[in-house]
Amino acid sequence: MVKVVIKNLTKKYGEVQAVKNLDLQIEDKEFFILLGPSGCGKSTALLCIAGLLRPDRGEIWFDDKLVTNPQRGVYLPPQQRQVAMVFQDYALYPHMTVFRNIAFPLEVRNESRNEVLRKVKATAELLGISQLLDRKPKQLSGGQRQRVALGRAIVREPRIFLMDEPLANLDAKLRVYMRVELKKLHQKLGTTTVYVTHDQVEAMCLGDRVAVLKDGILQQVAAPTELYDAPKNTFVAGFIGSPPMNMLNGKLVKKNGNLVVDLGVATFELPNWTQEKLKETQASEVVLGIRPEDIVLTGRYQENTIEAKVEMLESIGREIHIHLTVGEYSIVVVTTPAEDVKVGQPAWIVLNEEKIHVFDGKTEELMA
Amino acid sequence: MTFPRPTRILLYVVLILFVFAFVIPFWADITTSLKTNMDVIVTVPVVPPLDGILRIFGLVSPSPTLEPWMIAFQIMGRPLLNSLEFTIFATILSCLIGSINGYVLSKIRFRGSNMIFLFFSIAIFIPYQTVLIPLVLTMSRLGLFNTLAALILAHTTYGIPICTLLFRNFYKDIPESLTMAAKTDGAGTWRIYQSILLPLSALPFVVAGVFQFTSIWNDYLFGLVLAQGIDAQPASVALANLKGTSTASWNVLMAGAIWYALPLVIVYLVLGKYLIKGYMAGAVKG
Repeated sequence: MVKVVIKNLTKKYGEVQAVKNLDLQIEDKEFFILLGPSGCGKSTALLCIAGLLRPDRGEIWFDDKLVTNPQRGVYLPPQQRQVAMVFQDYALYPHMTVFRNIAFPLEVRNESRNEVLRKVKATAELLGISQLLDRKPKQLSGGQRQRVALGRAIVREPRIFLMDEPLANLDAKLRVYMRVELKKLHQKLGTTTVYVTHDQVEAMCLGDRVAVLKDGILQQVAAPTELYDAPKNTFVAGFIGSPPMNMLNGKLVKKNGNLVVDLGVATFELPNWTQEKLKETQASEVVLGIRPEDIVLTGRYQENTIEAKVEMLESIGREIHIHLTVGEYSIVVVTTPAEDVKVGQPAWIVLNEEKIHVFDGKTEELMA
Repeated sequence: MTFPRPTRILLYVVLILFVFAFVIPFWADITTSLKTNMDVIVTVPVVPPLDGILRIFGLVSPSPTLEPWMIAFQIMGRPLLNSLEFTIFATILSCLIGSINGYVLSKIRFRGSNMIFLFFSIAIFIPYQTVLIPLVLTMSRLGLFNTLAALILAHTTYGIPICTLLFRNFYKDIPESLTMAAKTDGAGTWRIYQSILLPLSALPFVVAGVFQFTSIWNDYLFGLVLAQGIDAQPASVALANLKGTSTASWNVLMAGAIWYALPLVIVYLVLGKYLIKGYMAGAVKG
């Protein structure tokens, strides 16, 4: 159980900046997610925490113990960090039985035979793999291998769990199931966990807090709901949520003393709460962001609505995704199946004024 | 019933001819080794010494004798033991060191590792002849001239580069996550080798082992220059000595050749199955 502090972490592979000036604070007992597209540096950061990779610059602290600092020549080898890692390919030792796989970290530490036996049995019971202890990894299914890998990680009661896309190789159904199991396991053990994934649904479901990375640079750290409701920039806004947030490029102009967004095909009058925030801004190009569920369709023109055309309907049972075009933009609206909408029909969209986001068109940062 | 196509028949004819071409020397070797000195001179080498049977067909044939085998073994017994001893030791040592080198070069990153690997690769192509004089001088200064230790040392050293290359390429295909997992599990450098990589290395050990055993067993040059006396004389040298300067007892020579080939035949019979598996594994992975 430990708090992890990362300061100014930087790692280059040749000319490529994998991680750039990363600052993170992971609280004790927290389930912390590193989220981002592939190549964003999330795995690199994880390997640095594990001690499997030496960063070029920066510090890593476990509580008040400095474990990595290249400038001062501090580098605690992975063997001494008391962290456990779960890999995407499970990394089970193919020549050992399940029992010996789980026992390996204990045997390395020269624990007594009885102790090893007791702990392995308890762990196997916890994960429901007691009947598999005599098998070799290649005789196991993906989900079973995943459990063995978890077992090997938890058996020695590490200070931190590090997980590198542990569910990525499982099929969709099993992944959802194991996700729940992982969350339960964390609630039971309470070990600080750092979890790397590119799957935003996984991140939202599992994480106490989520750090979003892009090109090695930290975009935002927040609880899942905050990340969803108040993304700091267009990247986070577009990465979190499915279907993603609708983004409309427009120009910020004054009309009758009020700020409106000129979308070319239509104008949208910004609500009062944004007027105040945008009063001082110099930016003229803006991106108007709105989540698919924050748009309502209406059959006739009203004030401050935008005309659109229905292009396609996607029904997924519980909800229906309506794809529309507004001039050159395509937007998606999520509603309940009850709504009577037909393809080709004109429609007017009403944006929920409380839920709109205005981003700077150049810096892509949130303005209001 | 369908008849095989003409091309297929032709293929078999050609293949059978090839088999004859390869088998006839061995056949002549065996038949000659079972004949008396006089019979060797008066009969054709390929005619077997099966007196009773061939006479039924009106053919002249000698009667078989095991005497050449006895004589050959009397001369070659000790050298064969010598060869077995240094070949087995040098094979095991070079494979073991090659395996450790391969592990270090494939799984541990350090400055200059690529350069070291390059040197190993170059060393594979150094011909025996170029190092002969320094080798003999070194061994005699170490006081190892004419000893089995000299042969073990020389063959081990010479075998390390090729073994290193073989093991490195094999270990490179073992996923890095495996060694990473072992590291976070708390295992040190040596423990990872011992507990994870070594148990997974049966196949490369067979391939490298058979390769080393064959090339060390067949070596003549090192044996000739490093071991002059009977104490350390290898079987390859003893076999060559069977052919005297003025006369040649072909039957004894052939029997000696069979004694000499026997250990290799046994090695291939026992390990052949794994050997093919090992070669295939390498072939598929590229």
